[in-house]
Amino acid sequence: MNPYVLATLLFSLGLGTTLTFASSHWLLAWMGLEINTLAIIPLMAQHNHPRAIEATTKYFLTQATAAAMLLFASLTNAWLTGQWDIQLMSHPLPTTLASLALALKIGLAPLHTWLPEVLQGLDLPTGLILSTWQKLAPLTLLLQLQPMNSSLLIILGLTSTLIGGWGGLNQTQLRKILAYSSTAHLGWMVLVLQFAPSLTFLTLIIYLTMTFSTFLTFNLNNSTTINTLATSWAKAPVISSLAPLMLLSLGGLPPLTGFMPKWLILQELTKQDLAPAATLAALSALLSLYFYLRLSYAMALTMSPNNLTGTLPWRLLPSQHSLPLAISMTASLSLLPLTPALTALFTL
Amino acid sequence: MMTYISCFFLGGFILSMVAVACNPSPFYGSFGLVAVAGFGCAVVVGSGGTFLALILVMIYVGAMLVVFVYSAALAADRYPESWGSGGVAGQAMGYLLGVMVASGFFWKEEYGVLWGFGGSVEELAPQRGDIGGVSWMYSLGGPLLVISAGALLLTLFVVFEVTRLLHRGAFR
Repeated sequence: MNPYVLATLLFSLGLGTTLTFASSHWLLAWMGLEINTLAIIPLMAQHNHPRAIEATTKYFLTQATAAAMLLFASLTNAWLTGQWDIQLMSHPLPTTLASLALALKIGLAPLHTWLPEVLQGLDLPTGLILSTWQKLAPLTLLLQLQPMNSSLLIILGLTSTLIGGWGGLNQTQLRKILAYSSTAHLGWMVLVLQFAPSLTFLTLIIYLTMTFSTFLTFNLNNSTTINTLATSWAKAPVISSLAPLMLLSLGGLPPLTGFMPKWLILQELTKQDLAPAATLAALSALLSLYFYLRLSYAMALTMSPNNLTGTLPWRLLPSQHSLPLAISMTASLSLLPLTPALTALFTL
Repeated sequence: MMTYISCFFLGGFILSMVAVACNPSPFYGSFGLVAVAGFGCAVVVGSGGTFLALILVMIYVGAMLVVFVYSAALAADRYPESWGSGGVAGQAMGYLLGVMVASGFFWKEEYGVLWGFGGSVEELAPQRGDIGGVSWMYSLGGPLLVISAGALLLTLFVVFEVTRLLHRGAFR
């Protein structure tokens, strides 16, 4: 892609999210979301094959629908209450509509069906931007909504964790697995949104770190299916030995970092007298854990039957910078002892 | 009298939307869009938003839709399907039935004719409708205008980039 155009698009991606972060007016927040959607469209379509174009079209249609719903919710709020402030949205109807619009934007169940297909049509770096950067602005708006009927968010959260777990079980394509894992993690984030927004923020940051390292690991190994993961031990042995731990961190096992948000969220739910919801969420994490375990198994815990000469792929000089991967992998494996510090740092 | 005219425009709005929904080809669907925009602007004028309706008609219908219609006409069939073809009448009947069912669902006895707001807010009562908002938009809302213009410029670049990419033919 033309470097000037690429620079403009990446700048607009940053501008859109910053605009949504910095705004207290619904119209400006909506504008930031639209700028984000528009700026990522050419990035998604840059590899010209029909699958990428299909993914771009689906992404554009769903995001435009969600933005229209959000605009409608803010207009309804302006009509009912006479003001446009994000944090003063007090009427339940626009608040519910805005929550559903933002849920469609980020891919919460039952509004998640676009996410696996869109992510499948993209290459891994663009999918990384989609899964991490594009989630920041809508979650900022969700964090700023006034407390409302908590049943909606609890139902969205539990459905997302369950569907994220069950949906990912039957997949062999890594990008679809990551899409369902994104839905499940967003479900955990939204589950605790009404009760402790700081935990949502903490979960978001930790999820971003873990997903970042996962996408970069798959990109380094140039693998998009479980089968191609199986030869990654010969390409980059160190990464293949750390990647199972990173995947188990995504699954939320102690003593890895991914356990921290789940632990704190379960504690908060129990304090809020929602023990059945907490139990259901914890059990749904087992479903996700199973397919992360399957990926770890394929990657590092087994060798597929083959003759000797077939086990070694070409070992070329690595062309990627691995410093971001190194930083995020370290963060996603070893930050659990810093739980008190992180809880104090990521407070709203 | 004004109520009757506004009702006529509202009815025309709904019928044009039905026409857009059951268009047999984009060429005629965009004509339905012109009608929708025209009737919608007439409704907005009747509610006091004269500036908004004028800008919408001039820029949306007058420029963008004309450009779209000409490019669709150039790219589309030589003999496009028109309203009289195939199952279009059946589809239109179906949509009209849906509209009547939906409005009947929300109908109450005291609804003679529905009318909404008059369009002016109390503290701006001397002006008609949206003139106060226009002056705010150009003075205190200057940064908003700049950001909106920036977003539209970005849309232009995005469309250029997408059509340049698709020129290599994945999207036929």
